[in-house]
Amino acid sequence: MDSVIPVQSKRQRRLTWLLLLSPILIVAVMLASLMIGVQQISLQTVFDALFHFDKGNLSHTIVLSRLPRALGALLIGASLALSGALMQGVTRNYLASPSITGVLDGSALLVTIGYIFFSGLSSWGLILFSLIGSALGTAIVFGMASLIPNGFSPARLGIIGLIIGTFFSSLSSIIATYFQASQDISFWFNARLDQISLEFLGPTLPFFVLGVVLAFSVAGSVTILALGEEVSISLGQKTIVVKGLAMLSVIVLTGLSVALAGKISFIGLIIPHIVRYLIGVDYRHIVPCSAIFGGIFLAFCDILARLVNFPFETPIGVLTSLFGVPFFLYLVYTRGGKRHV
Amino acid sequence: MSKARYAFPLVVLGFALLILLTIYISLTNGVYDISPWDLIQTMLGMNDNADKVLVLTEFRLPRIIMAALVGTGLAVAGAIIQGVTRNDLADPGILGINAGASTAIALFIFFLRGNLSNLGMFEQFAMPFFGLLGGILAAVLIYLFSYKNGTLPVERLILSGIAVGSGLSAISVYLTLKMNTQDFEMVVTWTAGSIWNANFDYILVMLCGLLLILPVLFISAHMLNIFHLDENSIKSLGVLPDRLRMGFLLGSIALVSLCVAASGGIGFVGLVAPHIARRLVGMSFQRLVPVAALVGTALVMISDFLARTILQPTEIPVGMLISLIGVPYFLYLLYRTYK
Repeated sequence: MDSVIPVQSKRQRRLTWLLLLSPILIVAVMLASLMIGVQQISLQTVFDALFHFDKGNLSHTIVLSRLPRALGALLIGASLALSGALMQGVTRNYLASPSITGVLDGSALLVTIGYIFFSGLSSWGLILFSLIGSALGTAIVFGMASLIPNGFSPARLGIIGLIIGTFFSSLSSIIATYFQASQDISFWFNARLDQISLEFLGPTLPFFVLGVVLAFSVAGSVTILALGEEVSISLGQKTIVVKGLAMLSVIVLTGLSVALAGKISFIGLIIPHIVRYLIGVDYRHIVPCSAIFGGIFLAFCDILARLVNFPFETPIGVLTSLFGVPFFLYLVYTRGGKRHV
Repeated sequence: MSKARYAFPLVVLGFALLILLTIYISLTNGVYDISPWDLIQTMLGMNDNADKVLVLTEFRLPRIIMAALVGTGLAVAGAIIQGVTRNDLADPGILGINAGASTAIALFIFFLRGNLSNLGMFEQFAMPFFGLLGGILAAVLIYLFSYKNGTLPVERLILSGIAVGSGLSAISVYLTLKMNTQDFEMVVTWTAGSIWNANFDYILVMLCGLLLILPVLFISAHMLNIFHLDENSIKSLGVLPDRLRMGFLLGSIALVSLCVAASGGIGFVGLVAPHIARRLVGMSFQRLVPVAALVGTALVMISDFLARTILQPTEIPVGMLISLIGVPYFLYLLYRTYK
């Protein structure tokens, strides 16, 4: 017991530090996101644009046009990281995340259908399609995994996710190829962060709030669930309810992020791991920290995406994979087929 | 596990008939229907109608042969990989070969194709060659990542495969988005799997490759039965399981790379065909491997015919069609295997 207490207090201290630091980091990454781009803008001008907006000033207009993008990155990063954290907790699988389980592909399929068959879909419609898609993906993948014994183990869930994901994306490409829109669609899914507008960001907010509220409300129960089904049941938890609510949150958050920016992989995998490493296994802390650092990380990647191949933009998914794939390999290498989170 | 349900010769005969029937139907049907009489005449070289000769010998026949070769290669590789990894749900795709080959093709189209204009013969082989190279590289990479303390745990292999695959596809995405529309379509069609470059030159190359690899695998197929035992029992037989595994894996990587180079990312054949074979003739690999080859041949041939004709005159990439059949089948398998 002696060693447990210092670790606990160390993590407690880290948590305090992280929460104190996070507003500073968010502001810093936001400002950087407003400053950096093809047209570099000074900090002074950014402040001017934010507080004394002048319609005639071109720089101010540019700053304003970058605002939805920066906000969008924060929102999407937070959503995906939250989805990943909840998935990992509920399945006790260290690899569970929206991209690896194929849920992103489910959303993308429905968005493709919406994009092609209902051209001129409103933002609400698009979000709805995306939500249906993520619900479909979640239902099939997690349904399959729960039908087979040990289905949530890393390798099995990985295979199911890969196969279902491939299935969804090959359906999307058949549709897209048939209607001769495949490169349009591909662009849509892979390089969209720059096209987010405030009008589109607005409708996603209620969903984001819903997802976050759900996530916070089940966080405590997920901590116990992550100890194991038996422990959870013996402590009197209704595991079905906890899982259901957590999955609902995952569906909403993943769906809205695909509707906003297409498929962005690995945020949901990386962030919860880093957070868990820093502050321990209590999901009441993991959930808020994942949201914050997911947002910061994606905003950071988005800035990199503008700089790597300046003045051209690099698709954001490529950037996140650049960090994600080595991390993924590292996880597989150190943990292998074991199921511990 | 399932036992043999049908006699081996009966199954072989059945599939041989099915394949012959498919060949006949594929030759005679299409955008341009050809009567049986014309078919016989043309095949015997007694037909003067240049159109019919062209359609049959330049378009349909090479495709059918190629479909057969690809189906055989993928199915045999799948049967071996499933045996070696002791995982009935393993698919050559998990070795990362498809992803590696697709990325190499994307790289090739993006950087080189514009610069290579008058290479004639070489250009035809350059693309499959790059595919082959990429496939092997990816497989080696995955192998290295999953190799730990002198063993090759199956889960690690699967998971490293997924990881490397997603990394490679990120590279493909990056390249394809910078391409012009025509190149993009080319990569997409190729990645989706289609028997587009079927011609006799390439068939010859493919045939040579298969003739080098397949007989060895057929003859040594009985060794795969060892993998029904656990690791320690294998060692007590005096066999080094890892060395044996490595040999078989290398053979199947070569097979799959050849097929992928010829036809792009056709998935699920390597998963589904061995399964059907197992249900028909049981677990013993001496019978399983050849029957899987027949099932794979029939599967790819029939699918290619359907892909060519369902949405006439538009053609669906055959890989997509197979995955539409393969995924539900896979889910059913998953359910059945572990229930």
